[in-house]
Amino acid sequence: MEVRVRVFRFNPEVDRRPRYDVFTVEAEPMDRVLDLLEYIRGDIDGTLSFRRSCGHGICGSDAMRINGRNMLACKALVKNFGTNEITIEPLLGLRVLKDLIVDMEPFFEHYRSVLPYLINDEPLPEDGRERLQSPAERERFDDTTKCILCAACTTSCPSFWADGRYVGPAAIVNAHRFIFDSRDRGAAQRLEILNQQMGVWRCRTAFNCTEACPREIKITQAIAEVKRAIQTGRLD
Amino acid sequence: MASFTQTLRRVRVKPNYETIAWKWMRYSAFAMIPLVWGHMILQDVIVGVHRIDLDYVAMRWASLFWRIYDALLLGFAFAHGVNGLRQVLNNFIHGDRARKVMNWLLFLFWLVITLIGGAALIAGVNRAFPLP
Ligand code: FES
Repeated sequence: MEVRVRVFRFNPEVDRRPRYDVFTVEAEPMDRVLDLLEYIRGDIDGTLSFRRSCGHGICGSDAMRINGRNMLACKALVKNFGTNEITIEPLLGLRVLKDLIVDMEPFFEHYRSVLPYLINDEPLPEDGRERLQSPAERERFDDTTKCILCAACTTSCPSFWADGRYVGPAAIVNAHRFIFDSRDRGAAQRLEILNQQMGVWRCRTAFNCTEACPREIKITQAIAEVKRAIQTGRLD
Repeated sequence: MASFTQTLRRVRVKPNYETIAWKWMRYSAFAMIPLVWGHMILQDVIVGVHRIDLDYVAMRWASLFWRIYDALLLGFAFAHGVNGLRQVLNNFIHGDRARKVMNWLLFLFWLVITLIGGAALIAGVNRAFPLP
């Protein structure tokens, strides 16, 4: 089938304003949008810039806006759009560096702000080996371990668009992953951080994040659980 | 076999303005479900807006029950709405100073309207019922 691909283009060194280039490419229904981009870059216009790495939905580097929705180009099949017009744009809410590449630094800054690592200064267990955890305790935060930090959720959030200082769903998901981990002792610290004006209370349960997540994490639910933990102090 | 000790994990997070405002939105919303529905069905369906006049208000406020009902409606619904407005405006007003000014203006707005409403509720309609 023939697909008309409209691609957002912007090169800050020459362009004063962004434009859209249209490429007509021959594609198979089972091709991924990433394949279209690779084909355009390889055979039509070598200046097209976009990020990719694994090509299998696990590195999180190719989140972009495809026909208006945030998704991973490597997980988006051409046949699933129900049209042969495909518009590809960079993520919203972050500065465009070139074409489909955005500046992820503000995103990672929010991520780092929630202390996304195990905090536990207590002495190691007697045998000096691992801190054990029951399957049920592990299950408690299983969903939020799946995050690949692609930023599809945070950049689909209207609260984040309105104010980039909002810590955003991805950071809350990664805080959740440790707050509810029975081996961790940093929950109070993280909840304190998320209880600030730019923390969880900026979430208005728009559910855009849950819809955008390529890992199908129940993000809005995770945010609600963090809100509840702040209100009740309960971590179970 | 490994054994696990299930410890109940609890922390204390100091409540702040945001925590309280969030909780207020939830509780007031619960209170508003019966209050607002009752109000709407009575005023808009049973009585009808075109029949609401001073006569009707005097009759309604002749009963302490309706005065308390209206006071609750004023207390819960209006503060809920103004806090919602604050959330919306937060999307557009970003500076710390501007936000402070906005918060104060909203507070004054809330206070003035609530006082006027409260005064009306307490004073009632200053005419004997039934009206001549
Ligand atoms: S290229 Fe790695 S997630 Fe798509």
